[in-house]
Amino acid sequence: MNRPALSRMAHKILFYGLLTAGLLVFLFPVLWMVSASLMRREDVLDTPTNLLPPVWRFQNYVDIFTEFNFGNYFFNSVFVVGSIVALNTIFCSMVGYSLAKFDYPGKNILFVFILATIMVPFAAILIPLYLIVRELGWINSYQALIVPFSVNALGVFLMRQFMLAIPDDYIDAARVDGAGEFGIFFRIVMPMSGPAVTTVAIVMFVTHWDEFLWPLVVTTTDQYQPLTVGLAKFQEQYGTEWNLLMAGAVVAALPVVLLFIALQRKFFAAMGGLSGLK
Amino acid sequence: MSRTESIDGVNSPRYAVPRRRRFMIRKSGYGLIFAAPAIVFFGVFYVFALGWAVWISFNEWNLLGTPSYIGLENYRLLLTDPEFLNSIKVTFYYVFGTVVPTWILALGLALVFHRAFRFRQFFLAAYYIPAVISLVVWSLLWQLIYQPSWGLLTLITDPIGFEYVRWLNDANLAMPAVILLSIVRAVPTYMIIYLAGLQGIPEDYYEAASLDGAGEYQRFRDITLPLLRPVTLYVAVISIVAAFQVFTPTYILTQGGPGSATRVLPMFIFEHAFSFLNMGYASAASILLLLMLLGLTFIQFRLLGKPTTS
Repeated sequence: MNRPALSRMAHKILFYGLLTAGLLVFLFPVLWMVSASLMRREDVLDTPTNLLPPVWRFQNYVDIFTEFNFGNYFFNSVFVVGSIVALNTIFCSMVGYSLAKFDYPGKNILFVFILATIMVPFAAILIPLYLIVRELGWINSYQALIVPFSVNALGVFLMRQFMLAIPDDYIDAARVDGAGEFGIFFRIVMPMSGPAVTTVAIVMFVTHWDEFLWPLVVTTTDQYQPLTVGLAKFQEQYGTEWNLLMAGAVVAALPVVLLFIALQRKFFAAMGGLSGLK
Repeated sequence: MSRTESIDGVNSPRYAVPRRRRFMIRKSGYGLIFAAPAIVFFGVFYVFALGWAVWISFNEWNLLGTPSYIGLENYRLLLTDPEFLNSIKVTFYYVFGTVVPTWILALGLALVFHRAFRFRQFFLAAYYIPAVISLVVWSLLWQLIYQPSWGLLTLITDPIGFEYVRWLNDANLAMPAVILLSIVRAVPTYMIIYLAGLQGIPEDYYEAASLDGAGEYQRFRDITLPLLRPVTLYVAVISIVAAFQVFTPTYILTQGGPGSATRVLPMFIFEHAFSFLNMGYASAASILLLLMLLGLTFIQFRLLGKPTTS
């Protein structure tokens, strides 16, 4: 081999070597979580640390559903996040459509105001939000977990930007043909906004699957608690059952990871495209 | 006015304008109907809620009795409360300890993944995994990683002579530990945003610069960075807003401790509101958090917001 080829080779080895080292930081902990979730209780507590289960115990995944309440937590998470995603796709589209295609007094103020709420940290409205939910008698209920997240400012903004690009012709033509305003919205505008709707749905799903502080504050019993709170409770009560805790953690992580693997490109477009929101 | 032509076959702007306006006016009522969800939602959960928070912050209230008005007393107490001042200090430590390395690593990795190479898609997906793991799960996992004698980190620390490091029980190590797990999870999130930004820069610019003899570093400094400015502003604002809200990792890993070493502001607010039922005090703290964040955001827009000419 001549020298340039050798140096190219060395470059390549170094490049892939560094990339693989990065995997140790970004991917390896997650793989180890799966490994720990399949160990026996005492094997997690071994020194030196076990990388793989000395004895594989798949029973952990049965135990968390039969002996602990993970099935219930899982259902709550799915139901709450599903509702939030459904409400947001409809409401964010409606509001985005209004901001993109209609004219009325105060429209620009409304738009700027909605954008400004992105800067409001959740902790700043946590207390009044709790008090509102309490006044409504919603403490420990699904409404409490869903309604305060039924419209999202970022989602509205995304829909507006997308709908600005829909030609007015389509909408006006439908009006000339006598279509009703809601018919236009549901049968023309919504279907044309497919990619933006997908983005909103993905972002909402990932964000709210992760919700912790709010359910921690407004739910008090297993009946309504999602996986995030269920896991934290399990950790407090059975802190040393690391194998079961990790099994629960894997179950909690799985839906988003699977969605990501299945829809990688859409996912990246949605998450990366958020910068286009600027 | 091509719209008018296509619909009416009349090439007359004079005709087109009233026509369009008629639609707009007739339909403006529908505009409000479509906006209604946002008006109600943001009206209740932001305007009314923030107003209520301000009002409560002027009261002493334990959630059970009736609030009693005490004016600015809560604010005066907060600004002399060493716990609160510590909380601000700890929060800033966390925020800047997290976001600055995150920006650098995220941009660096985005530059790597902006090239074409074999297995790129695999590495990109693998690096992105932490960003799709729920933060509660991520925190629980790292709690196990940090365990002194059986955690994953002992595989690195033990051989180099640091045995039985109690990451989460040492006042000097707890915050770096929380920051580390936050960085690893935040880097892929912002890497993807930078990557999308890089892909938005036209290839022609680089080709033209290359023809003019610009080196790789020069192209990065004179083309990439200036053109990434809007993305950088977005990343800076969003990452700082997000970091200021940190709650989950401190709740799971340290409960604010040891001592108050990781008692960040959201933790402080949460405890005063829901453990000590000190609603007025907690509200005042949350208003101060909001004001601080608005101030920081304003500064960032001033620093990064203007388009650059150089």
